[in-house]
Amino acid sequence: MLNWVLKGLKTGIVSTGYPDREETAPGVSPGLPAGQQPAGPAAGRCLTGALRLGGAELQVDRARCVHCFRCIRGTESPADWQPGYEWAARAAGDRTAGWVPGSQFGRSLHIRVVDAGACGACLSEIEQLNKPHYNMHRLGFFLTPTPREADVLLVAGPVTEHMKTALRKAYEAMPTPKGVIAVGACALSGGVFGPSFASGAGVRDVIPVDVVIPGCPPPPLAMLHGLLLMVSRSGTPAVTSLKSQAGGRRDG
Amino acid sequence: MVETGTIFTLFLFLCAAGMALAAVTPDRRNPGVLAMVAVPASLVAIVMSGDVLLSGRPFEAALWTLPGFGPMRLSMDRLSALFVFVTGLVFLPVSIYTAGYMGRYLGRHSLRTFGLFYHLLFASIVLLLSAGDVLSFFLTWEVMSIVSYLLVNYEHGKEENTWAGYLMLALGEAGTIAAALGFLVLLAVAGRLDFVSLKAAAAGLGDAGRWAVFLLTFFGFGVKAGLVPTNAWLPRAHPAAPANMSAILSGVILNLGIYGIVRVNVDILPAAQAGPGLIVLVIGTISALVGILYATTENEMKKMLAHSSIENMGIITAGLGAGLVFIASGYPVLAGIAFTAAFYHMVNHSLYKALLFLGAGAVDVSAGERDMDRLGGLIRVMPWTGLFFLVGSLSIAALPPFNGFVSEWLTLQTMLRSAELPSTAVKIVFALCGAALALTAALAVTCFVKAFAMSFLGHARSGKALKAVEVRRSMTLPMGMLAVCCFLFGILPTYVIPVMDQAIAPMTNQRIADDLVPPFFALDAGGSAKFSPAFVAEFHDLGAQTGKGILPGRGWVVLHQGAERNPVVFAMSTSYTVVVLSLLLIGSVLVIRALTRARTVSVKPAWDGGLRRLIPEMTYTATGFSNPVRVIFAAVFRPMTFDERKETIAEHFRTAIRNGRKEVHVMDRVVLQPLIKGLQAVASLLGRMHSGSVNVYAAYVFISLILVLACMRVF
Repeated sequence: MLNWVLKGLKTGIVSTGYPDREETAPGVSPGLPAGQQPAGPAAGRCLTGALRLGGAELQVDRARCVHCFRCIRGTESPADWQPGYEWAARAAGDRTAGWVPGSQFGRSLHIRVVDAGACGACLSEIEQLNKPHYNMHRLGFFLTPTPREADVLLVAGPVTEHMKTALRKAYEAMPTPKGVIAVGACALSGGVFGPSFASGAGVRDVIPVDVVIPGCPPPPLAMLHGLLLMVSRSGTPAVTSLKSQAGGRRDG
Repeated sequence: MVETGTIFTLFLFLCAAGMALAAVTPDRRNPGVLAMVAVPASLVAIVMSGDVLLSGRPFEAALWTLPGFGPMRLSMDRLSALFVFVTGLVFLPVSIYTAGYMGRYLGRHSLRTFGLFYHLLFASIVLLLSAGDVLSFFLTWEVMSIVSYLLVNYEHGKEENTWAGYLMLALGEAGTIAAALGFLVLLAVAGRLDFVSLKAAAAGLGDAGRWAVFLLTFFGFGVKAGLVPTNAWLPRAHPAAPANMSAILSGVILNLGIYGIVRVNVDILPAAQAGPGLIVLVIGTISALVGILYATTENEMKKMLAHSSIENMGIITAGLGAGLVFIASGYPVLAGIAFTAAFYHMVNHSLYKALLFLGAGAVDVSAGERDMDRLGGLIRVMPWTGLFFLVGSLSIAALPPFNGFVSEWLTLQTMLRSAELPSTAVKIVFALCGAALALTAALAVTCFVKAFAMSFLGHARSGKALKAVEVRRSMTLPMGMLAVCCFLFGILPTYVIPVMDQAIAPMTNQRIADDLVPPFFALDAGGSAKFSPAFVAEFHDLGAQTGKGILPGRGWVVLHQGAERNPVVFAMSTSYTVVVLSLLLIGSVLVIRALTRARTVSVKPAWDGGLRRLIPEMTYTATGFSNPVRVIFAAVFRPMTFDERKETIAEHFRTAIRNGRKEVHVMDRVVLQPLIKGLQAVASLLGRMHSGSVNVYAAYVFISLILVLACMRVF
């Protein structure tokens, strides 16, 4: 009977130190192509249109990247690659949900997850947030089953036709102040699915978005970063700055 | 002051006039005429019985003298007057309601017959309650039984109605025969018919005679009261009856069963042992529990109310049983409290059950539907009916400040007083019954949350419910009258209990008004013989004497005093509760308003899980609400599921599947069906005698003759 207590004590704390310390374990993040970089042949290898030629420079559109590694593997001149995971950013433009950054939700934020046609990868990563290693409860983030009690809507997927009404209704059912976080490449740009006859080009076409988290799927740490950014507990709003250089590259 | 006899004659004259008018008035005008006669008749009944109740002058009138059996007489003591008072209190609003309600039968059924029988029923009930001898009692009892059967079976075209009416009549007559046999045992020792001589002679009855009288009359009158195991007729009769008749059936006629039990087993032949009392207590408790279990899971409004009537009759009977045990054990004060609880509950049940049946009738008239699964949202279209139905539901769910709370609270407190009884076995029975009654009270809340919420709140679950409109004022007004009565009986128990006490005192030989309702308004700081100054001062600080200067009466607190060590056994005051509750309510509304003044409130549609369209059928239903009870008590309900399929072409293609569940009432299953099977087995055994040959029958006749002659010779 006492075994699980003893085992728990023996195991100690397994949760990640993030955000107080950097997470340095290998494999926590696949990484993304670095920002502006000299143009190479990599642009031609990108299937999703995340890499584009802008004059002499290669522009990276993080909202479209699916970490397929075609721009760095099997090529003579690989693109620059950044490890790390603090990718979340405030959405550009003024079309936000009326969320006041730094408001009273610092240590208690209730999140309603909406699957707006996601393939399942983002949801499986969101699930990790609730497990011991990422343990978002320690940071004051909680999942709730109804938008009536939610402060933030966490949306994954490109918003299929069938989920459009549901997403809009869920957003309208939330009490103000409310915020929306779009998770994953699909939710930001439609990703590999949209726009098409069956799905849209991201959450922003349907409801306002406050914070975007790129990645396909974004690693749980990137989502934690997004949530911390939402409640203004992370001082890293910029898209480019990186705390950690040690995040492992998958298969280097 | 007018003589009670004159008022009684006036009452009978009004009923006779009502019958005559009903016979000659055309159908269209008949309900209105009925109300115009029945309302004054009910008022006269209320005044007459109120006079007897308050003044205590019993009304006596000799009718005829039967040679050898003594006089037939009418006599109304306070006990009868209490029942007549309740009868009048129910008949008054129901008569007004009838004027608006009966229009739905115009052209389909004869309204003249209804009016005729209505007045006849009223007269026979009042005469039955004031009967002073066995013969007039049973004459009026039979008239009441048959007329109530005719009125319940008013919509006689439908097969299930006919069947329900037949069952009601058959069980009722079986009960009448049993009760009559019980009276015969008493008559054998008394030799005279009037109740006074019966009471005098009953003291000389032996143990076996006492048990025989008790068992026969308790069973006989228990049928009328709808106690287990003979409750089968009640949930079938109510859906068949018109709503106004249902209100009278539950509000008045069931009480007559209680009246019979009380008249015989408390008044004429008071219990000498704890045994009969315990049987009454246990039967009452089982009725209460079984009644509320079936009420909670029933979705048909009137059936649900019928099951709930069984429950309430059970609670009343349990109170009576406790009182009988206390009398037999020599605790007249506790017996008085138990009887007070029982009679108070009877009055309350008459009021709120009549109210609820009238409400169900209004819903039926307006929406044409009584299945709660297909109602919903009615409060928006029927605000008055909804409000009054809510009052009725709160009352029957025993929530303060309405009347059900007072009597159920007193009943449960009475159960707890069994601690004073000497016998451990009796204590255990009381404890178990108390627990079962507490469970009943809890289930009653569930049941009536469901009844109100599923019918009046939420979305309309059918087109009929959507199209409902408020019923006419002649139907809402009587419901309002009953709702006001429910409220008044709830907040003024200290004015009701002393009056009831006077009706009960002759049976227990003990006044309990001082023991239950202390005269706080008459006390001063010095205390009195019954209350020490410290006690008075403590209750003065608590506010028990607030209102002393302006109000008449004894006080506003119901309080039972114990011994030195434990000065207050139980105490409550719904009068003060209602003041405190309303202050709290107003206060919290003001506080909330002050706190939220700066906030904007946005009204959004109900969260429906993001569906494109919320269909009313998707919302919470009555079946869903009561399903936990159904699952928990599956051992009692024993549902049988059936699954019917229609298949074609060598059973390969299913064209239709129908499945559902059937339930047989636990009492039918455990008692009635084995009884019927047993009787059929005996009958088939006897059937072997019938060979069809004439010679054999002649032999039977001959053998019988010989046997009879032999018997005559021997004895």
